[in-house]
Amino acid sequence: MKVANNGGAGSVVLKKRITKTELRRQSVLLIIAGLYVIYGIVFYYLPLAGWTMAFENFKLKDGIFGSEKVGFKWFKTLFEDKTFLRIIRNTLAMGVINLISTTVTAIGFAILLSEVRNVMGKKIVQTISYLPHFLSWIVVTSIVKDAFATKGMINELLTSLGIIKTPISFFMHTQYFWPIVAISNVWKETGWNAIIYLATITAIDPSLYEAAAMDGAGRWQRIKHITIPGIRSTIIILLIMNIGNVINAGFEVQYLLGLGVLKPVSETIDIYVLNYGMKNYSLGTAAGIFKTFVSMTLILLFNFIAKKTGDERLF
Amino acid sequence: MKSKKIFAVALACMMTVGSFAGCKKKSDSSSTTASSGSDTTASQTASDSAADPTETEGSTAATEASTYGADEISDYTFLAFMANKEINDGNDIQEELAKRTGVRIKETWNANQDAAEAVGTMIASGDLPDFIDGGNGCKMLAENDCLVAWDDYLKDPAYANLKEMFSDKQWELFRQADGHIYWANVFGKTYGEPKTRTHNDEAFWVQVRVLEDANYPVIETLDEYFALLENYAKKYPKNEDGTEVIPYTALCEGWRYFCIENAPEFLDGYPNDGSVIVQLEGVDKPTIVDYNTTPTAKMYFKKLNEVYNAGIMDPEFATMDYDGYIAKLASGAVLGMCDQNWDFAQINNTFIEKGFDKKGYNYVPLGLVAQKGQTKNQWHAYADVPNVSSGICVTTKCDDPDKAFKFLNTCLDQDIHDLRFWGIEGTDYLVDDNGLYYRTEEMRQNWQSDAYLAKHVCTYSYFPQWGGTSRDGKNAMKPGDQESEFFATLSDPLKKAFDAYGYTAYGDFLRSEHITELGFWYPMYSHSNDMDTTTDYGMAWARMGDCKHEWLPKVVISKDFESDWEKYQKAYKDCKPEVFLEEMQKELDRRIELSK
Amino acid sequence: MFKGKTKHKMSRWDWAFVICNTIFLILFCIVTLYPVLNTLAYSFTDSSEAILKNIHLIPRKPTLAAYKQVFEMKGFQRGLIITVSRTVLGSFLSLFANALLAFIVSRKNFLFKKSLSLFWVITMYASGGLIPSVILMRYLHLTGTFWVYIFPGLVSAFNLLVLRTYMNSLPDSYEESAQLDGAGHLTVFTRIISPLCKPVYATVFLFVAVGHWNSWFDAMVYNRLKEKNTTLQYELQKLLSSLTQLNPTTTSEGKTENMTTEIQVRAAATIATMLPIICLYPFLQRYFVTGLTIGGVKE
Repeated sequence: MKVANNGGAGSVVLKKRITKTELRRQSVLLIIAGLYVIYGIVFYYLPLAGWTMAFENFKLKDGIFGSEKVGFKWFKTLFEDKTFLRIIRNTLAMGVINLISTTVTAIGFAILLSEVRNVMGKKIVQTISYLPHFLSWIVVTSIVKDAFATKGMINELLTSLGIIKTPISFFMHTQYFWPIVAISNVWKETGWNAIIYLATITAIDPSLYEAAAMDGAGRWQRIKHITIPGIRSTIIILLIMNIGNVINAGFEVQYLLGLGVLKPVSETIDIYVLNYGMKNYSLGTAAGIFKTFVSMTLILLFNFIAKKTGDERLF
Repeated sequence: MKSKKIFAVALACMMTVGSFAGCKKKSDSSSTTASSGSDTTASQTASDSAADPTETEGSTAATEASTYGADEISDYTFLAFMANKEINDGNDIQEELAKRTGVRIKETWNANQDAAEAVGTMIASGDLPDFIDGGNGCKMLAENDCLVAWDDYLKDPAYANLKEMFSDKQWELFRQADGHIYWANVFGKTYGEPKTRTHNDEAFWVQVRVLEDANYPVIETLDEYFALLENYAKKYPKNEDGTEVIPYTALCEGWRYFCIENAPEFLDGYPNDGSVIVQLEGVDKPTIVDYNTTPTAKMYFKKLNEVYNAGIMDPEFATMDYDGYIAKLASGAVLGMCDQNWDFAQINNTFIEKGFDKKGYNYVPLGLVAQKGQTKNQWHAYADVPNVSSGICVTTKCDDPDKAFKFLNTCLDQDIHDLRFWGIEGTDYLVDDNGLYYRTEEMRQNWQSDAYLAKHVCTYSYFPQWGGTSRDGKNAMKPGDQESEFFATLSDPLKKAFDAYGYTAYGDFLRSEHITELGFWYPMYSHSNDMDTTTDYGMAWARMGDCKHEWLPKVVISKDFESDWEKYQKAYKDCKPEVFLEEMQKELDRRIELSK
Repeated sequence: MFKGKTKHKMSRWDWAFVICNTIFLILFCIVTLYPVLNTLAYSFTDSSEAILKNIHLIPRKPTLAAYKQVFEMKGFQRGLIITVSRTVLGSFLSLFANALLAFIVSRKNFLFKKSLSLFWVITMYASGGLIPSVILMRYLHLTGTFWVYIFPGLVSAFNLLVLRTYMNSLPDSYEESAQLDGAGHLTVFTRIISPLCKPVYATVFLFVAVGHWNSWFDAMVYNRLKEKNTTLQYELQKLLSSLTQLNPTTTSEGKTENMTTEIQVRAAATIATMLPIICLYPFLQRYFVTGLTIGGVKE
């Protein structure tokens, strides 16, 4: 039974003192970790020097440290732009909606699939489910557009069921946009996102299920008491990581679906950077720093909550 | 805490690497090598060798006959930020060109990235080709000393073909702030008599069957145009195959929203300056006018709103993407739309395949104007349009700039030019008794085939070239402009329309003024294309675009046009268009100053 | 999952669940399969029909022309070789690198456990942007080489954390007993932990492999002019991207030509992209579909 709950191992606070014996005992690990840190500094932290670009009028010719300094000019430009607040709202809203919908569907799908006993069927379903991940957004959005068109599948279905009387033109009204984006995301990524949960579910000791079955536990109880606790730490870790990413709600799907009239709800930070950051590295970098700031704040917050609830956390 | 320290370390490391200077090393030396020698003779020939076909015949004839051995051929790389087909290794004409010019070009096409963005990374990585068409990144290349200046070559009579590309005044427009010329645009130049019969640009298009049904009327205004479409759609609501007719549609996706956006400048009779109108009448000097706020703009969008609400305009226009738009056009359902010809020319193949061309589904252009009887009309440009903001450049990476410029020069020799665009005589074209080039049906088929083009044809399409008439005074520089080739490919309904109106070229349908010399500043879009958001005016320009993307479809579908138009104009004002317009006026004044 | 061992009878609820579940999954398959099959249908359709955009699962005027165009594309072969090389080499190296680091940070008594994790978490959300990376690669002399595909992404925080979470959830008893036998850290990693991690290794391998297989941006930025280092996806991307070109003013041409790749060719390129990586899947799938009994692994 303990398999699942060991996930919280990180929270078992073992205040280790840095002592000589401990250092010697872990010398191999420390040397390897040191190499990784060097790697990380070179490939991930050195380029962060580029953040200085956000505080200057960056010109390639003058280099990252030689360009004219302008202080917080670009941050001001961002926040004084009336549309920018609207854009942050769109980004966060779509980020959160997408995160919740894709996480729930992926977990649900993984659990339902794990309940299938026919191995062949299971394999086929899983293979099919992850195929759309490999389609580009252009392909997916073009089908989504057809499906939600005034003469499209969805409208026909809704009218024939008598839910609506006249077809809705979904892409002319702003209120339908976020759900459509969420549906597109779910459709494209559910199978792919489920892979990680499936892998975790398979690691749950089958004897636990057998024991539960012997005790007369029903299917729902087994899911509730064995499967979900078994993948709990994975869920939490992925959730925290993805919460840091809600600010990266993406641009492709919004760009491809959100034409003209939908601009007020479809524009995300990434689209903004694409439109306004072209040839202006400084503005793009400023937006990037802002995104990092939001991400890290969210991560720290949710990591803290995870700590309080005794769950697995990022660090 | 720890992360802060790490960051500090990282910063320090980066500091030692320091700033980097683009690709400075060779720019100075190369320009000096070129200038050695011929300075004195150059200036004289340069001054009188503007684009005049008769005078320069001698110089082109003199520079041929030499062929190069395999070991003398230099391989150079070329990059353009445009999608294109790559040719095979060992391509017939490429090898022939290499033998005759001593240069073989490896072309790379790169449409995945915006040119300026790509150029930025290339400068940072120090990885440049020998030749480049930098698109909107040209300026950045020049600023970072990555390009070889043309100035000395333009003075040297050995490079007379290059000099001949533009008049002295036009060359001045290419001059950058540092006093040098770094590129030349290779497109839109006419040698001698213009031969163009197509209209590759923007117009209100209408299917030729609609004109035929109305007995070939002359259509001048928007009212007449939409009445024409409406009447036809009432009479024939469905095509023969059952497809429902869409009288009018307008694409407004992404950058292609010009289909709905820029008609007002044309309706007022101005040429395609792109971002603004340059007004000449009634003002003391040429003045920048914003076509988005003119009475004509309001009239045009009001009309669109009216036809939208009357059900004449495609109800899905605001949400369709480019694929969807092309699908509608290709199905033959759309009677009319406003677009650039090159944007939808790909449907022709389907028309032929399905026999739609015989039913008169092909489009002809109409040059609509704001007022009935208005003679001011410049839909069709009869004059050359050099876009000075970009073109072909030689980079400092090239180990022998003299040879590179020599190659650019040779590209314009008549025999090399014919080889590039017409092909090999006997194989790709024949010459009749009058010295006119023509193709057999089989040859035409060959030049339609991707496989044949890849293994046989090499146009070096982004290298210097001419349109118009060949130096022999008879043939067209490019096959598409040759009279025999043009009429051989026209379908019957189109021929009937040409005859009924007495027109001999697509341009005639537009009834534009025959202005052979446009304002010296033209086109103004070469300046707005260069803008970015590091400047106030660039920011204003970007915001204006955003605002129009959002509002133009909104006002068209509005139930209350007047109030929505007001809202749009208010939102538009918030973008500070005056900052942008002021900058455009400055640029206009600068260009006029240059021409004096 | 435990075939034949069901000692209890299937209740009515169980039957209802099984039926509903089956129907639901079948429906789900149909919905997700549709776009793929439709793309497949387009890829076999003649250009004159595909342009009309009214293909529904069945190609019209079937032809292989689109595939011919894709396969005969210059750079296809070279791109395929490079892509396969980087996928194989990159995935193994990356899996090893991530797994070893995950092993270190999942040791309960490791001294810098927390700070090392934070160190990598930050890399997930903070990026200096494209230009600094390009400059860095230039100074590391990786620009224009094959290795620029391998080194920069070798360790990724996401995969690291996925691996770490899984390793954390393993029972400690194995490791403890091994250490009592005098096994060093690295022996524990290779002999004890790794065999237990097969499902998550398969998952991470898949993630990394798909990442390598699909990436084209690095090929464009770092090997733009080096034909010998081109990747398949970059070549295909050239076909696909002409449509999404975001900016019309990128050329000097004065907007006179439209080189948009036709819809059926884009479809063929998409299918060509998908096929090989889909073939990889069944090999990895068995690790996380059929289940793996932890108890069964004994050392």
